[in-house]
Amino acid sequence: MTLSRRQFGQTVIAGGAALSAASLFPALLSPGEEKSPVVLARAGALKRQGHDLDRAQAADYLGRALMKLTGRQTPASAWKSLFSAREKVALKVSCLPGKPLSSSVGLVMAVVDGLLSAGLPKSQIYIWERTGRELERAGFTTAVFAVPIRGTDDLPAGGYSETISFAGSVGTCFSRMLEMVDALVNIPVLKDHDIAGVSIGMKNFYGAIHNPNKFHGNHGDPFIAELCTHPLVKNKLRLVVCDASRIQVHNGPAYFPAYSLEYGALLVGRDPVAVDYTGFQVIEEERKRLHLKSLQEEDRHPQYIWTAERLGLGRADPGRIDLIHL
Amino acid sequence: MEAKYFDKLPDKKIKCRLCPHECQVADLERGTCGVRENRGGTYHTLVYGNVCSAHIDPIEKKPMFHYFPGSQAFSIATAGCNFFCRFCQNWEISQKRPEQVQSVKIMPEAAIQLAKSKGCRTVAHTYTEPVVFFEYMLDCAILGKKAGIPNIMISNGFITEKPMRELCRYLGAVKIDLKAFSEKFYRDLCNGKLRPVLDTLLVLKDEKTWFEIVVLIIPTQNDSRTELEAMMKWIVKELGPDVPVHFSRFFPTFMLQNLPPTPPETLQSARKIALDSGVNFAYVGNLVSDSENTYCPACKKLLIERTGYYIDRVGLAGNRCQYCGQVIPGFF
Repeated sequence: MTLSRRQFGQTVIAGGAALSAASLFPALLSPGEEKSPVVLARAGALKRQGHDLDRAQAADYLGRALMKLTGRQTPASAWKSLFSAREKVALKVSCLPGKPLSSSVGLVMAVVDGLLSAGLPKSQIYIWERTGRELERAGFTTAVFAVPIRGTDDLPAGGYSETISFAGSVGTCFSRMLEMVDALVNIPVLKDHDIAGVSIGMKNFYGAIHNPNKFHGNHGDPFIAELCTHPLVKNKLRLVVCDASRIQVHNGPAYFPAYSLEYGALLVGRDPVAVDYTGFQVIEEERKRLHLKSLQEEDRHPQYIWTAERLGLGRADPGRIDLIHL
Repeated sequence: MEAKYFDKLPDKKIKCRLCPHECQVADLERGTCGVRENRGGTYHTLVYGNVCSAHIDPIEKKPMFHYFPGSQAFSIATAGCNFFCRFCQNWEISQKRPEQVQSVKIMPEAAIQLAKSKGCRTVAHTYTEPVVFFEYMLDCAILGKKAGIPNIMISNGFITEKPMRELCRYLGAVKIDLKAFSEKFYRDLCNGKLRPVLDTLLVLKDEKTWFEIVVLIIPTQNDSRTELEAMMKWIVKELGPDVPVHFSRFFPTFMLQNLPPTPPETLQSARKIALDSGVNFAYVGNLVSDSENTYCPACKKLLIERTGYYIDRVGLAGNRCQYCGQVIPGFF
């Protein structure tokens, strides 16, 4: 393969950024036998008003969750422990179902506020999803946000890399956003999924590839997990902030009011597998409460979570997850 | 535009009945083809008339050797495919969603008109997988039949019986890629299945639609003598000896970059296996050789000489061998 001068420059810059990030910030997984912490913040204040979360309430709970995760004394210092002011950060939101069940605008504002408190300039924070149209429909507009909002389709040259990348059996073109930034904050919504069982954090990266329709076979296993092993995802994912203010416990991933609950929660963690495992437990508990069959009984058990653990992406063993209630 | 061949299910889900994947698709989601979307419980095609590739090709390029040889085919495609072949030559359009490729609107009337005005004998639905743009292909074929511009379908054959039979009423001819003769190959390298493709070939025979078969020979993947002998035996027994079989040369591409191009001798060997098995018209493609020529199966004399995409009818009189009078199957 030959690289143009510009491509070579981009490669070197991206490589340098990855090296500096790796040395500055803690790895997603704790070393040794330590547990992976996941914060479940649940409160009436985290329920949606209309379709949105209150920005101040979201920021308050998110700040406290990050303090628990990082052991820092203030939200700002917690944010600073995770992100450098020199970095470019993309916030991967989830917008497919429109406003009722997308990552809420108030929560994403709170994440942006947190990154600003860490010293990142507005120009280095991107709100990102597959398409600009989906972002707009979910309320992510420049009238609301002072940071760049980008669908992959808004990016140069069609938005996806020209060449195929591999992650296990997944062959795909990644969104150019992944090459543009140094770090990722994943902001999915807690949802049931008709095929994969659940759609939480890891599956949200199906919105980062050009051909997600080719990877829904066998309930997304091992594809969801394998996708997240790609260095563009694995090495850049710094934080997962799962919006569980309103959750879909059945018939997802679209919004069905009959099966959506005002759960009033955030799930925050740095181990993507532990967050998905915890979210899966929430879905199963709520399904049980509503007398719905378990995902196992519906033959939709999200096996990809355990595959992800096997691939070293995180922990799906409750004995190795430190679930912190807030 | 609403798609054809799907069932509505409870909770706004649908089950697609167009291809054997039979995707069950929840609201706002798409099937594995990526070009059909559930919108509120109704399945929609996103590619009707949205042509991402249009060229005038010699019909030999399809390849199709027994259907108006030497003619031009107005060749069109939309984005999408229901397979995920790791060796796809056209992955930049077949493995993309409609919004990821540049398209122009060419409605069926315009497609037929363009073919006519450019002196094309046929309209070919090709390059990607026409099954996924079924509704568009069908409407083109209906209009084309009326206008004397037959439509041809260049396909992987992964389609259910009903829509295939509907197409057969209007299509002029079909070329099927028989990618291998093992379920393992179809599963591991194509995300598909062999059996439904064989079923499609049987439907084509039953409907008396003209069809030809292409087998892309990929080193170490589908080139064993055992597999090729089994395939040829099945073709002769189930479809008859007069179906032309083309063995095509593989070149490294897309996700299969680690394999070499098919050695010419492997292709010639495959052709010999076909001829020895009773196939009357076996060809080698993507390789310049005299194995692209058509020979009379009775007297073995040269009937059509091919060099690249250029042909010379040296021994055909109408659809008969001018030397022995043998009827040569196809449309000449």
